[in-house]
Amino acid sequence: MAQPLVPELLRAHLTELATRDQRADGRGQWEGRELSVEVGVLDRAEGSAKVQMGDTIVFCGIKFQLQTPYPDRPDEGGLMTSAELRPLAGRHIEPGPPSPESIEIGRVVDRGIRESGCINTKDLCIIPGEKVWQVIIDCFAISDDGNLFDAFGLAAIAALHNATLPGERFDVGEDRKLPVNKTPIMCSYQKVGGRFVYDSNREEEVGGDERIHITLGEDDHVHSLQKGLKGVFSASEFVEIMDAAKQRCAELRKIVDSL
Amino acid sequence: MGYGDVQMIDENGNRIDGRKAGDIRPIEIEMGVVPVADGSASMRWGTNYVIASVYGPMEAHPRKIQRQERAVLDVRYNMAPFSTTDRFRPGFNRRSREISKVTADALESVVLLELYPRSKIRVEIEIICAEAGTRCVGLTAASLALADAGIPMTDMVVSVASGKINGVVVCDLNKEEDNYGAADLPMGVLPNTGELVFLQMDGDLSPSEFQEAWDYNMEAALKIHELMKEAIANKYGGAQ
Repeated sequence: MAQPLVPELLRAHLTELATRDQRADGRGQWEGRELSVEVGVLDRAEGSAKVQMGDTIVFCGIKFQLQTPYPDRPDEGGLMTSAELRPLAGRHIEPGPPSPESIEIGRVVDRGIRESGCINTKDLCIIPGEKVWQVIIDCFAISDDGNLFDAFGLAAIAALHNATLPGERFDVGEDRKLPVNKTPIMCSYQKVGGRFVYDSNREEEVGGDERIHITLGEDDHVHSLQKGLKGVFSASEFVEIMDAAKQRCAELRKIVDSL
Repeated sequence: MGYGDVQMIDENGNRIDGRKAGDIRPIEIEMGVVPVADGSASMRWGTNYVIASVYGPMEAHPRKIQRQERAVLDVRYNMAPFSTTDRFRPGFNRRSREISKVTADALESVVLLELYPRSKIRVEIEIICAEAGTRCVGLTAASLALADAGIPMTDMVVSVASGKINGVVVCDLNKEEDNYGAADLPMGVLPNTGELVFLQMDGDLSPSEFQEAWDYNMEAALKIHELMKEAIANKYGGAQ
């Protein structure tokens, strides 16, 4: 990613703001940007969602393929998540093969969904040992103004809830709604100016330190964690953001479940 | 099933989506859809949905790509994995590479590159939803995004294709027509001069059919140009 010309000045500015409990765009420490979630927005996908958080905009599309199950799990389908950071979405994104950043995002989103058990892979079985569905979750950034992790996570679960298994097109029975039993939600925190904030924007990402991603399911069960970038954090800092995450995940789950 | 086997036009000259031979699909344009870009635009054209963004002029690096007398235009056309009925495997392929090149060739013909020596202008075209004629939608959307970025051009580029189904020449093929069509003639027109900056063709057209397809494209380009001017005026004001 391209480095800003004056990262040290930006860091100093963000640190100075933090000492006064302020953020560059005027938000509170645990306050997210304005959020909108729409589903069923892509005509060629079997399920889709568009998420906008401030100037960050992403799409998620669900596609299905038939595959042969693994011999040791003859009645289970597959799940795959990919995140694409195309250069369309920001001047800092270079063209070329998938960057380590985009692979990390895809894998973190994947873990939250997979480990929450929101998709029972046995629901994806068509003929045991012969034919199962593979669910492919494609996250796609349109505009990256920071925190693609949460935007992708939210778009992915919203799109899954919106998805239909295309049985007729593949000649394996009727179309039916993809069973999605739970709503895992990811919340991300980044240390900016010496303290953690929720939903960092691009400026805070560039001038900040380590980030922590937490995916919570029903009853605050933890399904995935990820610490990224350089930096250290204490146990008490982690307790603080975990408490914030519990509250925010519940709010976001309500939004997704009401779509 | 070969082309010609499927009836796509009825005896009254109505196409399967109700259009007449010379009609284009509905078009919706939105400017500035990528807030972090220097310029951007989206086009919904039939069920095509295409987003284009522009970054620059910016420093051209590595330095070996710099041109002393003008800017370089770096154009990428790409299809999103969920843009097609069967998932499109991400990554560059020969088709995308060719379309990126001919799109760049078309845009280089109108952008005043000599105003920005040693710099680079990035044009990114993403096909979010593909129906038929994505290269035309991509090129047209790219010229809107360049205008949104305030990059000087001698003219907009309006791109549209005509083709032939069941022996009848028709304008702006939809998905079914494209699947069974017998010819495809995409063109990129400069609406103010009537000149061309983009031209491809494949299939089989007689000289009179070719002329008919050419005329449909010219006529459609002027209609689409009106929609483009309207979208730009809606965002920036000014006389229409």
